[in-house]
Amino acid sequence: MSINNSAFYDIYKEYKALVYTTTLNYLQNIEDAEEVTQDVFIKVHESLSKFNQKSSLKTWIYRITINTCLDFIKHKKSKKRLFIFGVKSNSEHELLNISNFEHPGILMENKENAKILFNAINQLTENQKTAFILSKLDGLGNVEIAQIMDLSISSVESLIFRAKTALKEKLSEKFEHYRKKNT
Amino acid sequence: MEKENFINEIFNSANGITKVAPSDDLFFKIQNRIETNTISSKTIWLVAASIIVLCTINVGIIINSKAIIREKSEVNLANELHKSNQLY
Repeated sequence: MSINNSAFYDIYKEYKALVYTTTLNYLQNIEDAEEVTQDVFIKVHESLSKFNQKSSLKTWIYRITINTCLDFIKHKKSKKRLFIFGVKSNSEHELLNISNFEHPGILMENKENAKILFNAINQLTENQKTAFILSKLDGLGNVEIAQIMDLSISSVESLIFRAKTALKEKLSEKFEHYRKKNT
Repeated sequence: MEKENFINEIFNSANGITKVAPSDDLFFKIQNRIETNTISSKTIWLVAASIIVLCTINVGIIINSKAIIREKSEVNLANELHKSNQLY
């Protein structure tokens, strides 16, 4: 092993909530989030000796988390495509259940509205989704997001602005849909 | 106005979101996976050395068996010549 177990456990203790919450925000499924959290920490364990400290440990772990989430989603989508003519795969059912996801970190009185928000977040482009989650849900500043996403601060600002605009459009469509349903 | 209120309500539903810790046994699952994935370098070298030894033995046997066959055919020819004492 490249690093000793107690050092790895210290890292796990410090970053487990950060990694798990980010994966939950991304994947909106508890089982998937646990699986990806495991993958993230295995990658951290394997690559910690190669960590060159150009960025902070937190930024580095955030990058690994986001990349692992994106890979997981791509893998799930490719599986879905593979089964498109056959029996629906488990992952497809899981994907369809996303809208029913109740985030354990959301206040009880906001859970129903948060479901709608998460559903709309899923329709954003990859970069907009990342920037919005890191900004709004993880509460990071634009400088930190720029470091994590390896983009300029102005690009991050623009991504967040476009994400908010797209979300407002989607929510406004949803509002019209609800109004028609209720009348 | 009603629409704006709806959008703001949805947007603000994520306010006060808290970080969530994973289940307690997750670290043990990670440790198990690391231990399963980690093959010691000693084992890797041992397997590599075994493969090289096996290949060397196989090549040695093949070369040796070819030499034996060649030797046998020469002995057979010599025996035949010795019996008849004829070269043609």
